[in-house]
Amino acid sequence: MSEGRLTRRALIAGAGGAALAAPVLAQKLVDLALPGGPSLRPLEPQFPGKGEMIVQRLRPPLLETPMEVFAKGTITPNDRMFVRWNWEMPTSVNAAKHRVAVGGAVKAPVSLTLDEIASAGETVEIVAINQCAGNGRGLSEPRVTGTQWGNGAMGCAKWTGVRLKDVLAKAGIGQSAKRVRFAGLDVPMTDGAPQFIKSIPMDIAMRDDVLVAWGMNDEPLPLLHGFPLRIVVPGWFSTYWVKMLSTIEVLTGEDESHYVAETYRWPTVPVKPGDKDFSTVPITAMPPRSFITSHADGATVALGKPLTLEGIAMGGDAGLAKVDLVGAKDGGGREISCELGPDQGGPYALRRWSVTLPQVSDNLTEIGVRATNVNGIVQPETLVWNASGYARGVIERITLKAQ
Amino acid sequence: MRALPSLTALLLLTGCDAAPKVVFADASIILPEDPIALPEGPGRQAVIENCTACHSPSTMLQQPKIPREKWEAQVKKMIELYKAPVDPKAVPQIIDYMMHAQSQPADVPRETPR
Repeated sequence: MSEGRLTRRALIAGAGGAALAAPVLAQKLVDLALPGGPSLRPLEPQFPGKGEMIVQRLRPPLLETPMEVFAKGTITPNDRMFVRWNWEMPTSVNAAKHRVAVGGAVKAPVSLTLDEIASAGETVEIVAINQCAGNGRGLSEPRVTGTQWGNGAMGCAKWTGVRLKDVLAKAGIGQSAKRVRFAGLDVPMTDGAPQFIKSIPMDIAMRDDVLVAWGMNDEPLPLLHGFPLRIVVPGWFSTYWVKMLSTIEVLTGEDESHYVAETYRWPTVPVKPGDKDFSTVPITAMPPRSFITSHADGATVALGKPLTLEGIAMGGDAGLAKVDLVGAKDGGGREISCELGPDQGGPYALRRWSVTLPQVSDNLTEIGVRATNVNGIVQPETLVWNASGYARGVIERITLKAQ
Repeated sequence: MRALPSLTALLLLTGCDAAPKVVFADASIILPEDPIALPEGPGRQAVIENCTACHSPSTMLQQPKIPREKWEAQVKKMIELYKAPVDPKAVPQIIDYMMHAQSQPADVPRETPR
């Protein structure tokens, strides 16, 4: 668990050789408990429309949600939702001039205004978890390169939009359509570098809950979250949820583009550091995950008293079936069933759980929670390590001291 | 003809069962500047000239410790895959700097004048 231990340190400005006296900067920091460090991250500077966020990168922005945001409720407010851009993001969008080109293997390519998109079909609302494929990467052991996220590159929101299939129908899907690819307004800063474009198979594209969305928690999508439109694929990692959508392209074959064919892939077999020449597949559906949010790692609890633990859980690409509190790995398999909170948002939403221990008789060492989804997928005891740190789903553990 | 679009819109609104009518307004934001600058170290100038256009200093200083060969591979990836216009002569200096930055004690806040 990477529940934040906040510290405030004064940064002594004015390194030797500085021509001008600089003001002393005080930075509020959070400790993500990344093994081996560096583990402290600033909670500043503040970004427009955002509350306190863990600043992983300034440009293009990578902002992580502090774990305390998940301590209450199941919806992540817009101002606390994590932010992730691969390439520099445009900082302004003219709504009237924005167009979405629908082309490729279609009957008749079209260029749609925002109003034409919004009226392409029935307005649909769905609550779904948006989670980066690399969420929790910084906790990988051995460590791997890439954005060093704690577990806060996730959030759950209500998304409003129209079905992708209704937008596709405006152009008419051509015969032998295999995949649908999306591009946004974010483009590489260097000539010849790969644009961040992503595609999904046709059967996923035609799902009733795959959206071209403009609404996030009943507000227009903030620019940082992809205004004016983003793709929503409930149950799949957010790499497919292309932001600032500007192009929809129907493909008749496999997608050979960089971010599908070469990255955002993970091994089909167990691997260890240094392994090469194994087959990979795109990282797509999310596994179940769960977290204790009522107590941080290392917190103190009252000896001899009852203890209620609470948290959040997700089923991933299927509904949540159950959550169990589990003892230490070598603790003899002690398990206690947790009580699930109401199913308010459907299978792709966060759900709360709680469990009360009648009496704390000792330290609670390396306890964790383990989610199981309705397909019987269970969080594993050990990390499924991969060199990109994708799809972390291992049981997350904390230790509580009884006194 | 003019009556037709508004009639369509009206029908859609009815069909949407109280869904809020979406109005798309222009949007713009101003992103904050990085409050952290790169600390002194060998190769700092090469990093400033070749890397900081895309990588903010705070991000560079948050990377986990990796061996020199991995930094070489990272820089190669930036040049070959992402077409970063890096001066080939600057590459060893960039790697020297990253190795130096990572040899500093972890989690010591790095101070710098703006």
